[in-house]
Amino acid sequence: MNGVVELMGHIGGVARLSLDTFKAVFVPPWNLDLLVDQLDRAGIGSWSIAVLTALFTGAVMAVQFAVGLEPYGASLYTGKLVSLGIVRELGPTLTAVLVGGRVGSGFTAEIGSMTVTEQVDAIQALGADPVKKLVVPRVVACIIMLPLLTILADFVGCFGGMLVAMNEVGITPRFFLEQVIDTLGVVDLVHGLAKSVFFGYFIAILGCYQGLHTHGGTEGVGRATTDTVVAISITVLVSNFLLTNIFLKIYG
Amino acid sequence: MAEPTPVTPVEPIISFKGVNKAFGSNVIFEGLNLDIYRGETLTIIGGSGTGKSVTLKMLIRLLRADEGSITAFGEEVTTMKPKALLALRRRIAMLFQGAALFDSLTVAQNIKYPLIEHGWKDEDKMTARVREVLDQVGLGKIEDQKPASLSGGMKKRVGLARAIAIKPDVILYDEPTTGLDPINVRRINGLIRHLQESLGVTSIVVTHDMDSCFTVTDRLAFLYNKRIEWVGPPEAAREAPLEILREFVKGGSGILEDDLYI
Repeated sequence: MNGVVELMGHIGGVARLSLDTFKAVFVPPWNLDLLVDQLDRAGIGSWSIAVLTALFTGAVMAVQFAVGLEPYGASLYTGKLVSLGIVRELGPTLTAVLVGGRVGSGFTAEIGSMTVTEQVDAIQALGADPVKKLVVPRVVACIIMLPLLTILADFVGCFGGMLVAMNEVGITPRFFLEQVIDTLGVVDLVHGLAKSVFFGYFIAILGCYQGLHTHGGTEGVGRATTDTVVAISITVLVSNFLLTNIFLKIYG
Repeated sequence: MAEPTPVTPVEPIISFKGVNKAFGSNVIFEGLNLDIYRGETLTIIGGSGTGKSVTLKMLIRLLRADEGSITAFGEEVTTMKPKALLALRRRIAMLFQGAALFDSLTVAQNIKYPLIEHGWKDEDKMTARVREVLDQVGLGKIEDQKPASLSGGMKKRVGLARAIAIKPDVILYDEPTTGLDPINVRRINGLIRHLQESLGVTSIVVTHDMDSCFTVTDRLAFLYNKRIEWVGPPEAAREAPLEILREFVKGGSGILEDDLYI
């Protein structure tokens, strides 16, 4: 029962922080330097994780489909299945889970350290708003960068699938790409990218919330960082299920 | 015969009245009352966890009081709107226990931070102000250094330089001498006294260090039993009717920490 009450408290806290963040986004002055810094750290710094994850996910999907479809003589359709799986589901979701683990835990560790050393109090005492200084740039950066990283992951994932399909099934790159283009519609891309916008928001807001509510010194920072990785992973996976259902109802 | 000039009672610039504060089931204050007057240095003493730092943080609303009234310069702090709160934080600065310097910024950027937040735009004026306050706290050319490369005493002094950069009327000191060597303790105490005497700054100091307390303070306030139990000149504390205060001032040889934590 206590766990449920605690969870509801956290959900309320995240909702409150989200509202404060939304309000702070529209209040000048806007500090572009902070945003650019976060775009670099959260986005550019995560491209290698996104690329590696997508490359091998696309490759392993292609292996599985090529082998699984062979008895039915359908391994030629590997490109269709890989591209649909990557663009609709695995591109956005795996990118969010892995980038979220890296970026969200980083946010919690950084802001959590500032909280336990009273730097967040100092921001307020010196006349600034910690939400505007710490949370807004991170949330905006993640909302911008997650879709871009997802697009990158989509391309690389399909590329990984193509490399395997060429070797395992013996199809040409041209045939594979034709299948991808035939299969994927704008709706599929929008479906995946729209989800990644939400994932970006969840990663940043959960990382910042945990950081701002860190207590218990350096041990508390470690605990909060671990909690963030778990919270982001679960939130991304659960929200993926919900968002997928919503988008399927809207777009079919 | 001329009529005697009526004496105008001195109004406190800061006043806590009937303040209650709790963190969950942990009650910190029940009916806290305290007045602070312009230009004085008031030191709050008391056991660990009795809410000394909480008092300071409630004054600039880093923490909210659950009940009661806190006024500063005639305005109610507990219900203050953001704009008024910003103006209050321009007038009341705080030196945090660990200095709370921003690790990612240089010393100069740390000191410029409140200036920028309070509307300073001229880079040259800000740079000159940084030099001026660093001189006031007795620090040389360390503008480009990061806090990580500074000693504990230097961090405290940079924190103090940052606090006085916006020329506040009141400075709150949270354990200003904790963890410092005797030379730096004397230096920080000297700075507190100097700022009071030269700039007329009102100071509220929270400390465990009784030597520092007797060096810098005009009045002493003793936090005990969830409220301020005694206020008076530091010398009078040695003869105060409250035995636990006398022991605390003497150095606490006859008391246990549990006795203070009521």
